[in-house]
Amino acid sequence: MALTGLEIFKLLPKTNCKKCGMPTCLAFAMALAQKRAKLDDCPDVSEEAKEKLSAAAAPPMQKVVFGKADNQVQLGQETVMFRHEEKFYNPTVLAVTVSDKLTSEDLKKRIESINALQFERVGTKIGVKAIAVINDSGSSDSFTQTCAAVKDGSDLALILVAESPEAIAAAVGQVKEGTPLLVSAKPDTAEAMAKIAKENGCPLAARAESIESLADLTEQIKSEGVEDIVLSLDGLSSRDKLYNLSRVRALALKKIFRPLGYPTISFVTDGDVNTQAAMAISLICKYSGIVVVDTVEPYALLPMLTAVMNVFTDPQKPVQVEPKVYPIGEPDENAPLMFTTNFSLTYYTVESDVEASRVPSYILVVDTEGTSVLTAYSGDKLNEKTVADAMTKHSVENLVKHRKIIIPGYVAVMSGKLEEATNWDVMVGPRECSMLPKYLQEVWK
Amino acid sequence: MLVARRRRKSRMEESKKKKFIVRFEPSGLKVEVPSGTILLDAARKAGIYLSSICGGDGYCGKCKVIIDEGQFQSRPTSLLTPDETRQNIVLACQTKVLSDLTITVPRSHTLETSQILMDTDAHRFSELTGEPEAGVFEFDPLVQKICIEMSAPTVHDHTADHERLYVAIREQIDAPIMQTGFRILQNLSRVLIEEDYKVAVTVGRRGGTTEVIEVEPTKRGKTNFAAAVDLGTTTVVAHLINLTNGTTIDTEATYNSQINFGEDYIRRIIYAEENNAFDEMQNRIVNDVNSLVATLAARRKIDLQDITTIICAGNTAMVHFLLNLDPTRIRREPYTALASFVPPIRAAEAGIQINKRGLLYCLPSVAAYVGSDIVAGVLTTRIYTKKGISLFIDIGTNGEVVLGNRDWMVCASSSAGPAFEGSGVKDGMRAGAGAIEKLTILNDGSIELRTIGNTRPVGICGSGLLDTLAELFVNGIIDRTGRFKTNGEPRLTEGDEGRQFQLVPPGNNHQEIVITQPDIDNLVRSKAGVFAAIRVLMESTQTKLEDLDAIYLAGGFGNFLNIRQAVTIGMLPDVPLEKIQFVGNTSIAGAKTVLLSQKALKAAEKIAKSMTYFDLMSHIGYMDEFIRASFLPHTDLSLFPSVTESVKR
Repeated sequence: MALTGLEIFKLLPKTNCKKCGMPTCLAFAMALAQKRAKLDDCPDVSEEAKEKLSAAAAPPMQKVVFGKADNQVQLGQETVMFRHEEKFYNPTVLAVTVSDKLTSEDLKKRIESINALQFERVGTKIGVKAIAVINDSGSSDSFTQTCAAVKDGSDLALILVAESPEAIAAAVGQVKEGTPLLVSAKPDTAEAMAKIAKENGCPLAARAESIESLADLTEQIKSEGVEDIVLSLDGLSSRDKLYNLSRVRALALKKIFRPLGYPTISFVTDGDVNTQAAMAISLICKYSGIVVVDTVEPYALLPMLTAVMNVFTDPQKPVQVEPKVYPIGEPDENAPLMFTTNFSLTYYTVESDVEASRVPSYILVVDTEGTSVLTAYSGDKLNEKTVADAMTKHSVENLVKHRKIIIPGYVAVMSGKLEEATNWDVMVGPRECSMLPKYLQEVWK
Repeated sequence: MLVARRRRKSRMEESKKKKFIVRFEPSGLKVEVPSGTILLDAARKAGIYLSSICGGDGYCGKCKVIIDEGQFQSRPTSLLTPDETRQNIVLACQTKVLSDLTITVPRSHTLETSQILMDTDAHRFSELTGEPEAGVFEFDPLVQKICIEMSAPTVHDHTADHERLYVAIREQIDAPIMQTGFRILQNLSRVLIEEDYKVAVTVGRRGGTTEVIEVEPTKRGKTNFAAAVDLGTTTVVAHLINLTNGTTIDTEATYNSQINFGEDYIRRIIYAEENNAFDEMQNRIVNDVNSLVATLAARRKIDLQDITTIICAGNTAMVHFLLNLDPTRIRREPYTALASFVPPIRAAEAGIQINKRGLLYCLPSVAAYVGSDIVAGVLTTRIYTKKGISLFIDIGTNGEVVLGNRDWMVCASSSAGPAFEGSGVKDGMRAGAGAIEKLTILNDGSIELRTIGNTRPVGICGSGLLDTLAELFVNGIIDRTGRFKTNGEPRLTEGDEGRQFQLVPPGNNHQEIVITQPDIDNLVRSKAGVFAAIRVLMESTQTKLEDLDAIYLAGGFGNFLNIRQAVTIGMLPDVPLEKIQFVGNTSIAGAKTVLLSQKALKAAEKIAKSMTYFDLMSHIGYMDEFIRASFLPHTDLSLFPSVTESVKR
């Protein structure tokens, strides 16, 4: 496990000199532990400390990048087993296979249908990020041609999957500007594959059937001069595969076992569409950096992408709701209008109490960078100007006929200024939104 | 619509020019204000102080007045009953003046700010002080009088008087760099000759420099006094100290008279900013300090000129207000103070009335939200010297938390809010006469309570509120989320603010006292804020419950705080009770320690410099911890094994 802030602190000079730009040595140590600072920022750190710290500071899981410059994908760099411990960094890359046995028309269609696997979900674009070309034919020529066709037909990152170093060498010559991921090196091909990867500056996947032989293999590849390695566990049952992927992760992160400190790739190319979807989602949950599937059915890909989106949400960001007007029930032009902030906990509490009142209403959500009413007010993020701007931006004057706005009781102090800024009548709502039903039923009229 | 609005606006502008007379009964004070003025502002202008805890936000419901005559416009509010509205009772902060008005101010709501409030609370608070541990720091006051005997100059020793004085001072104290006030210099030879070169010299330390503050006849050498002040957001406490021997002569306390501008300092900063009232804020706190010092001096028959030093500890905002330093950036991202280490200044420059060349020291602070009162607390509890890990909690209007030992210290401030000071709670009050300070629900469902001064109950203060919350929970009247259960409890009724629990039935000469659902929500939030801050600091430093050697609880709760109950509701960590110690007002104790020893000042500076501040507002885990702590005692019951055990029983 990486050093904690306190452990790093013990190695620092403890002078609180502020030269690093932090108020105390402990603050700097904690920033180092969270990788928000560089050790070089401390001018007085001892050589001994430097040595100890830099060993601990190296990421426990290598970062691996492949694909064309604009559509580069990034793997690895994970630091925790569970998201809530900190966060996950690089979302699982979903890839779809293209066989080099496909004829030109089928090949074109397949590439097009893969390109189409892009979706928008709650305002975020998600989609397949890579194409894995499989050397099913065994021929170097058709593999090379297919790779070239995929490169021309799609901007997605490329994964070249072949057993023989010759096929890989031939194909990579055509597509090396796109920095493809090469799959894969086995003990007998490791030397040749590593040579190709090194010459072309491509990352390389190491493939073995056990964790132990995988570790030996990465050591060998590394000794050939390839740093960017991806792990592939082959020939295991689903259960053993998930179990072993978890072990690899634990060994890399908890034991800082460098030979396994790399991201992983998994192939889910057997079975029907449903089986593929189920297995792919299991692998997304349990530590696959790349999941390669065979299906191009959107109904199967969307749940996989949704799973990726959910698993890789940063739990540290305050959850916010979109700043806009939310109608509750079926409000008409006489319905009450109130505002709150876009901190999701605040909004949903207000929403549920407005619902409970059974008075159809509009809730205007003001963007306060995800802070609650009093925090936003205290920090000057909720004031007459931000509210007036939100009212204008979301055209509340077109929603209701009256000119009354209910404000949270805790910020009653801004009512005068808000009246001046908007010319609307300000009604002071209750402090606790548990009182909103009573307020809406009795005071609002 | 547009036409109508424009017309309305022009009408407003026209009527704004009109002025009306507002007359306040029973005092008969009058004030002329423009039409549309808020009644609370009119009252302030007239010099009438209406109790207004929320600072005019319209939610405390304390500024009720009766309109006897005239036109007004009030915003709708749920804080008035229909009966009250019929009787023309309004909230002054929600009411605009539209004609000449006659107002009756109910006696119970007025507060004379000029008078020092010598109620039980203030006194008790002032007395709750741990005396600085004797012998920890050597006695070496920041300002001292030393008696000097010099030989007069001769032809063989014609060193000038001033340099002669320096040599003599340096024989007694270590003072490599010295300076002298110009007026002292002008009069120096005259005094020396008159006193035959035997004088008492007052010297004060300003950083590395030693300043000659006063040169007097030797007979005044034993009269050197100082005041130590705790600048609390709610209460200001002063101690009078004899600097020649370090003893505390007398103590006094008053309420901070800025309170009319908001119960917490953020509101006061906003008020000052919006009304350009920084001078007013300074005047108020300086006046509070001056009247405390004057009262103490008068009572002990001490000349103000003999008080040569004043030392203050307080939250960062209060120190800024005292010195009229711009506090506005304290409330805005990235939340910075103007100064954490305020150099000593002449007290007179801040308007403080002691010896005209006397010095004002402010203890150093850590950050915008962790002030010098907390540094004083760490100094007093000596956390920074201990091998084991201690937790220091100061519960006031904010709940500041410090965790650490001699190697490291982390701190944070939770906006606990003043609920445990009785504010924002329907029948809450400060710990004055008649406040319920202790409350137990007996097995037969009856309630046993004790009030301050053993008088008829008027309201509930902090320790009583804490008891109430714990008792309601332990007796199953509220559930773990703090909601009243529906089990036919006869004391549970429906009030203006929803469900409420009757603690005291109405009697012949007193009203009923209740605790409402919003009160409970408010108290739960306060305790959750404090506990979440504790958790964030413990998590960040991987401190486990069993690693805690001691918990020091400081603040205004008083000695009557039931520590067991504080654990029951989940405000304090569930450690063996003997590890929890109430330490009283450590802010003033720390200020006194520093006053009496330069080494203590150095220690305080080191503490302030070495504490690592966690900004909870931007801290990613705080909100989660807060939500988890918003249950009784907590969502994670494994953190409260003893509570879980006792509630089961």
